[in-house]
Amino acid sequence: MSWIGLGLRGGVLTTRYPLAPDEMPGAYRGAIEPLDAPAERQTLGANSCLSNAIEPGARRAGVDRARCFQCAQCTRVAPDAFSAIPHFELANVEGPADAVRERLRRRARTFGRSVHVRHVDAGSDGSEEQELMAIFNPFYDVNRLGIFLTATPRHADVLIVTGVVTHAMREPLMRAFEAMPEPKAVVALGTSACSGGIFAGSRSVVGPVSAILPVDVMIPGTPPAPLSILHGLWVTLGRAIARGTTV
Amino acid sequence: MPADARACAERAVSEGARLVWIFADRIEDKPVLHYVVDDGELRHWVMPVEGEVSSIAAGVPAADWYEREIAERFGVTFRGSIEGRPLTRVEPAETLRRHESGEVSTVLYGPIRSGVVESARWIVETAGEDFVDVYPSMFFKHRGLEERFVGTPLELAPFVAEHVSGATASSHAAAFCRTVEKAVGIEVPERARAARAVLVELERIHQHLDSLAKLADDGSLSVGSAVTFAVKERVHRLLCDATGNRFSRGVICVGGTRFDVFERLRACCERDLDAAERHAIAAIDGLTGTQSLLDRLIGTGRLTKSEVEAYGGVGPVARGSGISCDVRTRDGYLYTPLRGEEARERNGDAVSRALVRMSEVRRSFQLVRNALDANPSGEYLARGRLSDGSALARVESPQGELLYFVRFANGSIARVAIRSASFANWPLFVPSLPGNIFTDFSFIEHSFGAVQAEVDR
Repeated sequence: MSWIGLGLRGGVLTTRYPLAPDEMPGAYRGAIEPLDAPAERQTLGANSCLSNAIEPGARRAGVDRARCFQCAQCTRVAPDAFSAIPHFELANVEGPADAVRERLRRRARTFGRSVHVRHVDAGSDGSEEQELMAIFNPFYDVNRLGIFLTATPRHADVLIVTGVVTHAMREPLMRAFEAMPEPKAVVALGTSACSGGIFAGSRSVVGPVSAILPVDVMIPGTPPAPLSILHGLWVTLGRAIARGTTV
Repeated sequence: MPADARACAERAVSEGARLVWIFADRIEDKPVLHYVVDDGELRHWVMPVEGEVSSIAAGVPAADWYEREIAERFGVTFRGSIEGRPLTRVEPAETLRRHESGEVSTVLYGPIRSGVVESARWIVETAGEDFVDVYPSMFFKHRGLEERFVGTPLELAPFVAEHVSGATASSHAAAFCRTVEKAVGIEVPERARAARAVLVELERIHQHLDSLAKLADDGSLSVGSAVTFAVKERVHRLLCDATGNRFSRGVICVGGTRFDVFERLRACCERDLDAAERHAIAAIDGLTGTQSLLDRLIGTGRLTKSEVEAYGGVGPVARGSGISCDVRTRDGYLYTPLRGEEARERNGDAVSRALVRMSEVRRSFQLVRNALDANPSGEYLARGRLSDGSALARVESPQGELLYFVRFANGSIARVAIRSASFANWPLFVPSLPGNIFTDFSFIEHSFGAVQAEVDR
């Protein structure tokens, strides 16, 4: 069969998201929801967290989504204090959501109707790149939203950085950022890029992207699902509101 | 501890064994070297380092990268090693030697390259279109993962393994857990072994499709690439529904699986596996039927059987050059062993490696079904008591043979060393390039299907 035939036979696979709602399978461990539980149960969960995302609280624990790498180990050791939900709209911004949205929207207006994205890998585990590529597959097809990849930072409006920043990637990353014309936005993609994840505090790495660049939007996830990336890009363009990482 | 592990390894290789790995450890603050070869079985020798060690790289090219990493990162001096640029340290661009003559120029390709790719640098010497020579400059992505394991509680350590290569997380978690289980002596229940086999085979399918889709994209075959990436997406959706993560992370743990994932896998595969397989075969038939793509792949990036043997290549790269090396036929880690001939091709070019991946995709669907049909009942997790000791074990990851070494001391993890298939194969990238032109670079790179994250660790 010809490629055209094969392509057509598949029918339309593409999601309408973010223009219409979509969802992840119910089993997806997107985010951790803390539940009302005694302090010792909260502490049990916190001690099982490899990236220190859990802070025990008065009634329920606080979970930092920028640090959570979605292993859901806390829900297994203390199911009465933590539960996993298939939430995927995880993008976060620094500062009051409405004000940030207005700032991002104003800046996005100068990008025009099409936005060009440049990717730099600062020290990822290799899966973030594959999920970033996935947003161009027929199921997500972000070209329909006017979002395109560009090969050079000179043509880029948005810089997407994956992975925790390693010592060797620090300078190449800075140079890529400096080569981009203003106005520009920086997105940290993946838990390691957002907070350092399991590498936070390690001397082997520089740290999260925000340690060296002004990050506008964080998209946590290990790796972030394509729908999470779509949502994060929509936030970057001021089209959606980020809900914040701490729940 | 035999006095000269190095000599044992060198002799074994001269008698036809494959050098698998050389790595360093520290016992009571004194460096020791481990030499690992495969002569049908894994053989493993250890020796203390006293003064300089003689290099075996002149006679055993596969030793070169291991010795260089140990020299640069562990401070061991190898006498008579091959001279070359540093492998794991980044040279400042200014200090790089540049050719004086006008005919050959030095190009720094990377670490940031066009497209969504992992960071790595190749120092390419080229005369216009043709490659003259290539030097790798790696470890831009070094995150200190082997050190990250040290002291991490055993319950949580598989999560660290999944960070070594997120794209092949199940293979890494399975390899790490198998190693620990061997060191401690835990018998994994059948049900968990079957679940692991399903996870690793589904991972092989999505990673092979990723490599094939990128090759199609290199050949400007937009529809072919989109169709192949769409099949990959179907596998990720199946995994997400069954395991809660699109790359099946957070499932495999020491002793089995963290929850009874087998039942979920069975339900989701019953619903979605046939359709995924049908689409995969349609995409593969489409790719093998597109002459314009095959033309770019045939004869591109050729590796002879003797080159692959000399450098110790593994996985689809080795099988593309006619070498039989599939761990699945040997170690019996799969619930249902791989029977019959391994997928192999003879020509050693990019198309051979692609054809090997295509056969393996078909076979992996069958292996998934076999494991699901067996439907072993019982527990999904066995518990064991931690004891001091060490072990070495391997699995067949999508890229090929993946080994872990784990040593325990005082009841916790004291040393983890990782030999990834991508690391074993990357030295072969260098001899695969001469004779090709610059535009073949991405075809050859994607035909290797390496994950840079597991090379740099």
